[in-house]
Amino acid sequence: MPKHNVAVVGIGQTKFRSKRRDVNIPEMIYEAVKMALDDAQMEPKDVDAILIGNMDHFEGINFSEMWCGIDAAPGYLKPVVKIATGGTTGSSLGICGYYNVASGIYKNILVVGWEKLNEGGATTGIITAFDPVWERPSLAGALGPLALMANIYAARYGITSEQAAKVTVKNRSNAANNPFAHIQMPDITLEDVMNSQMISYPLRLHDCCPQSEGACAVIYANEEETKKITDNPAWFKGVSTAHYYTFGCDDLMFDLPTAAIASKKIYKKLGIKDPVKDLDVAEIYEPTSWSELSWTESLGFCGKGEGGKLLDEGITQMTGELPVNPSGGVLSTNPIGATALVRFAEAAIQVMGRGGKRQIPDVETAMGMGFGGSLWTELAILGKDPKPLR
Amino acid sequence: MGKKEKEFQIKWKTDLPYRYSIGKLAVKYFEELKNKKIMGSKCPKCDKRYMPPRAVCANCFIEMTVEDMIEFSPKGTLVGFTVVNYPFIDPNTGGMRPFPYGYGIFKLDGADTYMMHFVDETDHTKFKIGQRVEAVFKEKTEGDIYDIPYFRLIKEEEE
Repeated sequence: MPKHNVAVVGIGQTKFRSKRRDVNIPEMIYEAVKMALDDAQMEPKDVDAILIGNMDHFEGINFSEMWCGIDAAPGYLKPVVKIATGGTTGSSLGICGYYNVASGIYKNILVVGWEKLNEGGATTGIITAFDPVWERPSLAGALGPLALMANIYAARYGITSEQAAKVTVKNRSNAANNPFAHIQMPDITLEDVMNSQMISYPLRLHDCCPQSEGACAVIYANEEETKKITDNPAWFKGVSTAHYYTFGCDDLMFDLPTAAIASKKIYKKLGIKDPVKDLDVAEIYEPTSWSELSWTESLGFCGKGEGGKLLDEGITQMTGELPVNPSGGVLSTNPIGATALVRFAEAAIQVMGRGGKRQIPDVETAMGMGFGGSLWTELAILGKDPKPLR
Repeated sequence: MGKKEKEFQIKWKTDLPYRYSIGKLAVKYFEELKNKKIMGSKCPKCDKRYMPPRAVCANCFIEMTVEDMIEFSPKGTLVGFTVVNYPFIDPNTGGMRPFPYGYGIFKLDGADTYMMHFVDETDHTKFKIGQRVEAVFKEKTEGDIYDIPYFRLIKEEEE
């Protein structure tokens, strides 16, 4: 049990784009950090500690927290810890931030995730994250394996490329309501997706997430601090992590078994019986359109092979029973080291009722998901109070 | 919006050589690969058969040694496929990876884990999940990961 309840009290995110050539890395991080501090009405001196994360190989740099975590994030004379876990970097930051405050080590913490993918190459960087002898020679970054997963999933359950394309149309239509989202295609149609270039069968260009640049900063506080900062925080109800085997093909992980393991664990802890009824909104980490269909199944939103049906019935739409990715999701914005932290931040924004045009009415409980590494899943559930549902 | 701003750039090129220790099991693997044999690990406790070979069984947290290595068939069954059709720099060569290329996930006969590798087919309509595949060895093997440059799809009439 946590010693302290933990709330999100400040959020900052840059407007995500494909290139931010107007700023260098620390300048870009500073933008998000300053917004989060202003949001919480805090001064740099008020912050106890910093967690910072990205995947340095994407930019061809190393130990970047040394020159990014002191002035850009206010780490001067403070503990600064770097976290890098691939796609889950942002959720690992989010979860470690929670642990640091819940345990009583710090009364508050600032976590910041960032990436500047146009400065290197995501595919090349991802390949270097894998075993140099066994996996690098044939690995095609993330999209090759994600295409294999989609291919197996489609064959097993008879999912069509039209159903997958509907995910892109939903998420990119949602992105039009989010001023921070990278890809702005408000009028995108099914035909646009289904006629886009084949990137890696069955993935077409618009079935895939973009490469984005930007940063996201979130400030957490314990109960006592939270009272001083805001009367509208978003409380952590619980977090959950599941990692799996060493190599991506040690098991047939096309449907992301870690999502099933991590979600069952957190639902049980919080007394969630039916996530579609008990959660009000979910921000999930869908690197491809196909992934969202498959992972809504693994997260227990529907039965195996019913991801397409769940979407067709409108349940995951903005007006549905469990809207998924009102922010536009990863299909619209993917600054890798920030991506999963954006999921947590957007879940908090929904609980706070500060989502503007992307706000779902009356959100009490929201889930954020991180995906990455060797098919890992990390989850956080936030709400109007820190208590379990039942 | 005035005239297009001229971009200020500083350019350099970096060459970063690395040398990796591959471990005893990989040494054995590459020695046998030179003899056109594919070796994996077998857990002495739970009997799980791993490809590629490795020193620890994750289920049992027990050491697997060179003596525990076993030979797998070069043939297996295709579980999933794609045709990679996008450009990127291959960190193993520093140059662009040639594309398009066929890419499959399959299970070698006798193995409990899967492997991913190149497949010599770039037309996705020619693949079928469940079909048989076979490792193709270079004529003159060198004890190198590229001794098996790709797998080939086995045609039904060959079975």
